[in-house]
Amino acid sequence: MFMDIKNLQFTYPKSTLNTVDNFSFTVEKGEVISILGRSGSGKSTLLRLIAGLEMPAGGAFSLNGKKMFCDKTFLQPEKRGIGMVFQDYALFPHMSVEENILFGLPKMSRKDKKKRAQEVLELVELIGFEKRYPHQLSGGQQQRVALARALAPEPELLLLDEPFSNLDTDLQVKIRGDLRRILKKAKTTAIFVTHNQNDAHALADRIVKIKDGKIEKIGRPCDLLGVSPTEIPGMVEITYEELIGV
Amino acid sequence: MKKSLILLVVALMLVLAACGSTTKKESGADKDAVAKKPEKSEVNLYTSRHYDVDNELYKKFEQETGIKVNVIKDEADVLIERIKREGTATKADLLLTADVGRLYRAKEEGLLQTVSSDILSKQIPEKLRDVDDMWVGLTKRARILVYNKDKVKPEELSTYEALTEDQWKNRVLVRSSESVYNQSLLASFIEINGEEKAKEWAQGIVNNFAQNPEGGDRDQAKAIAAGIGDIAIMNSYYFGQMLNSQEPEEVKVAENLGVFFPNQETTGTHVNISGAGVIKGSKNADNALKLLEFLTGEEAQGEFASANYEFPVNHNVAPSELLKSWGEFKEQDIPLSTLGENNAKAIMIFNEVGWK
Amino acid sequence: MNKHLANVNGWTIGAVLIIILLFLPNVSIVTGVFSPASENWTHIKEFMLLNYIKSSLTLVFFTALFTIAIGLSLAWLIAQYDFPLRNFMKWALILPLSIPPFIGAYTYHGIINYTGVIQKTLRNHFDVTPNPAYFDIMNVPGAIFIYTLFLYPYVYMITRIFLSHQSASLIESARTLGKGPLEIFFRVVIPISRVSIIGGASLVVLEVLNDYGVVKYFGIQTFSTAIFQTWFGLGDLDAAIKLAASLMGIVIFILVIERLLRGGKQFSYSTTKVRPLPLVRLKGRKAVFATLYTLVIFSVAFLIPILQLIDWVILTFGKVPMHDVLFYTKNSVIVAGLGAFLIIVFSLVVGNFSRVVNHKFAKILPKLTVLGYSIPGVVVAVAVITTFIALDRFLAPVYQYFGMDSELVLSVSLFMLISAYVIRFFAIGYNSIESGFDKIGTDFRDASRMLGANSLRTFFKIDVPMMKGAIISGFILVFVDILKEIPLTLILRPFNYDTLATKAFQYASDEKIMEASQASLLIVGVSTIAIFVFHKLLREEPK
Ligand SMILES: Nc1ncnc2c1ncn2[C@@H]1O[C@H](COP(=O)(O)OP(=O)(O)O)[C@@H](O)[C@H]1O
Ligand SMILES: [Mg+2]
Repeated sequence: MFMDIKNLQFTYPKSTLNTVDNFSFTVEKGEVISILGRSGSGKSTLLRLIAGLEMPAGGAFSLNGKKMFCDKTFLQPEKRGIGMVFQDYALFPHMSVEENILFGLPKMSRKDKKKRAQEVLELVELIGFEKRYPHQLSGGQQQRVALARALAPEPELLLLDEPFSNLDTDLQVKIRGDLRRILKKAKTTAIFVTHNQNDAHALADRIVKIKDGKIEKIGRPCDLLGVSPTEIPGMVEITYEELIGV
Repeated sequence: MKKSLILLVVALMLVLAACGSTTKKESGADKDAVAKKPEKSEVNLYTSRHYDVDNELYKKFEQETGIKVNVIKDEADVLIERIKREGTATKADLLLTADVGRLYRAKEEGLLQTVSSDILSKQIPEKLRDVDDMWVGLTKRARILVYNKDKVKPEELSTYEALTEDQWKNRVLVRSSESVYNQSLLASFIEINGEEKAKEWAQGIVNNFAQNPEGGDRDQAKAIAAGIGDIAIMNSYYFGQMLNSQEPEEVKVAENLGVFFPNQETTGTHVNISGAGVIKGSKNADNALKLLEFLTGEEAQGEFASANYEFPVNHNVAPSELLKSWGEFKEQDIPLSTLGENNAKAIMIFNEVGWK
Repeated sequence: MNKHLANVNGWTIGAVLIIILLFLPNVSIVTGVFSPASENWTHIKEFMLLNYIKSSLTLVFFTALFTIAIGLSLAWLIAQYDFPLRNFMKWALILPLSIPPFIGAYTYHGIINYTGVIQKTLRNHFDVTPNPAYFDIMNVPGAIFIYTLFLYPYVYMITRIFLSHQSASLIESARTLGKGPLEIFFRVVIPISRVSIIGGASLVVLEVLNDYGVVKYFGIQTFSTAIFQTWFGLGDLDAAIKLAASLMGIVIFILVIERLLRGGKQFSYSTTKVRPLPLVRLKGRKAVFATLYTLVIFSVAFLIPILQLIDWVILTFGKVPMHDVLFYTKNSVIVAGLGAFLIIVFSLVVGNFSRVVNHKFAKILPKLTVLGYSIPGVVVAVAVITTFIALDRFLAPVYQYFGMDSELVLSVSLFMLISAYVIRFFAIGYNSIESGFDKIGTDFRDASRMLGANSLRTFFKIDVPMMKGAIISGFILVFVDILKEIPLTLILRPFNYDTLATKAFQYASDEKIMEASQASLLIVGVSTIAIFVFHKLLREEPK
């Protein structure tokens, strides 16, 4: 199994309910997973747990055979080889586009770094924007820089937290297509969070629907969102309306 | 890795401390009252006097004797507190204050040791030395009256006590009771006239205030010039400074004022001293003694008198021309240590009568 | 849960150590509250406390009111409008901070007293002898005037930085809703800048509470007077410390109120979208008014006293020993620079700790370090001496091991003085740094770690550059404050270590204000350079 999460458990300090409750889940290499759920259902928290930005209360998690978290170990986020695109991008405002991208590159020669930066900029179609600062970019461009920055170190796993929420609809559709193309081209395993089933449908190989920090349903988009749901072992059948109602 | 930051900070502080400890090392752990052989010739002085003339005298002393004078200047009480807390380890050799009350306090706290020599006895009258030889006087200053020559005739003036009479209503100027000079003035009255009388006096002065106390001694003189009051209680040496000010207007103010030494027929004019005592456990007590002898010597006394308008304690030294022009005067004849003894009582009286 | 600790160890250890160091001396003061009352206590209570507290509160209240009025109005003008001289005023209006209030008090009294330039000129050239009562500033209103002039920059500086960086969208949306400037000021500007106003005003309040120089000279009896009368006059240090401890109580009370006023209403902004507020150009009468207003404040709070000081320097030229001036200046710059540097480093460690450890305790604890700033410096000094002498005793075996023959090492070194500065002024630096951390939030930090940067690299590459403004302004505030500092410097310096401030004090305490002008002017000069450099550095910061 490429990525394996077992019984993940997490509660925020002041809350009474488990924010993430007994979460178990596996992902194959190269898969694009969409996590779908109401706001407040624990999607971001789940991503932050996978990333190592929060400390789980229990459970285990391994990635590509490496233990990220279990009873004894907790690997710091910077050591996990996981990339993340934040909801508001979190581009470093004091660095140019290129500097933002170079920041995450591992030790290699200056020339190689520049080359890699060009590759990812080409991927997101932003050649020529290297010297700009984040505040000189449109929302969609910022989003693509954030993606390029996350992809540049070639992470084993890419996490995206509602990457389209700040974009207008036209841009959303375009970027969504771009993203799938980019992810597939780079053969990146990715988990992205959304509350929009169109996004999920367009992008994901599989969809995980969560509610109150628990998995409600897992399935392929065509199965969960499609016209003729087919039975998947261990899955509950749900209707399109139920998903629309998210 | 984060720890390296903290390590860096700690290291930095250590370096700081190292380059900060500039003071030279003392001789061996010789804790006798008088050190036998100070390795480096120096004397460490805690002083509450901050006059340029003092610094020049220290420099002169250094040149003459090769003994380096190290100085820390602050309020006397703070210095006393520091010595107290440093205990036997203190580096201070000599405590110098501008008020005898503070010397008394240091003595009471057991911070001083006896200091005497033939030279000191010769240079300083007995009256200006502690009965137990714990401190000696260096300079004197008198608390005098200055008055508006146009509105007050010298014949109307007699004593501090007379200022409480009704004719002086709304005419008397004096600074706040926070000034140690007022405290020692009242302390002397407690000694001479008793607590009751002293309180009556303070109350009487408050009743005759021309305005609520504000500003320093010089400001009282200026207030006369401005017509706020007619007579002020102030220190002789501040008046001397005004007469020699760089600001011509101040000189003008001072020249229009008369000087009066009160209580000449009775108990004498109040006098306070600057003085010094050697710290118990001093590691450079010999040097401290040398410095005291130097400061009460004729050369230094002449400097105090001419540059700072203070009265010398050494009888062989004449006061400056200005001070001489004010004439000889009769001083209060009480043990100076009583000024210290009665200091707290004086404060309480000031508070009780509402002398701000 | 020790895994939780694993996440924060380095920072936590550092921060906790620093906080303990900052608290240690204060603890010895706080315990003073519980010391048994001395025989003087009834006297103190009956004759000193009540009235003194009353005048302290009067001073605090009106000074806070006026500094807010002036500081906020200036901040708003400069942040939102363009008018002649604006670019100069933007930084020049901070300059009054460089004048120690007691020097300001002496100077203003020097200007307007009987022999001062005003009355002198009226008398000698116009033959007018005005009623001297009009020229009396040595009273409570006068003290409020002095404090307001020389302390308003705290409010101005903190609020202006906030307004020009944080408020663009709010103010613009108010404009588009057709609100007039005054309505925007009262309904938008004041509410959104509440946190920075209170932050600045609380520094002002603390300065007023711990000040002794101005009130002593003016003959006003305040809480700090009571502390000194008790100590110096009655010779009762224990009772004085008890008083100081009660003052701390008042300050804690004020802090709690401040917390309540802030409430949960911390305005937070998505920092990627922070952009400067575009300036509205003022024309005609409005422009004249704006320029005039800033010019009047600048003149009264800076230009006039400086001109007077310069006049005195010329008057006493050659009469004041000059040869050591460079030495004092160098000493001043060294201690102020070192002190400010350490405070900023410590503030960054503690601030980062407080941000990473998301716990109430970690938020409130650093706030309490402000206690060192609330009580008169001399009382802090006694506490510091006590602590360092104890430290020296504790380290005695170490000294012996290294063959040092002195029992006092730390407590006679510059180390003690610098530590005392850190204890006293930490709150000022921390205030700046904390608001810097607040502003950048944790997103960038998370992003950096997701890009493989560890905590330390993130700190230096992301946090520190993003907080450049906060770091520089914190540094400058502390630097200028240390330059002016007197009571700690006087008693805690090593032998023969004079600074500009101790020099100025030496003369001023002996009523020789003219002789004090040279050192005072140098304090102002060094501070002015520092403030100017700060202004330049901030301007070049990429937006
Ligand atoms: N820092 C926090 N402290 C306490 N509770 C939090 C915190 N962040 C999120 N929560 C709570 O945890 C739950 C899940 O939040 P989140 O994972 O952000 O949801 P989603 O991303 O699905 O909208 C919500 O109820 C939210 O209020
Ligand atoms: Mg979310």
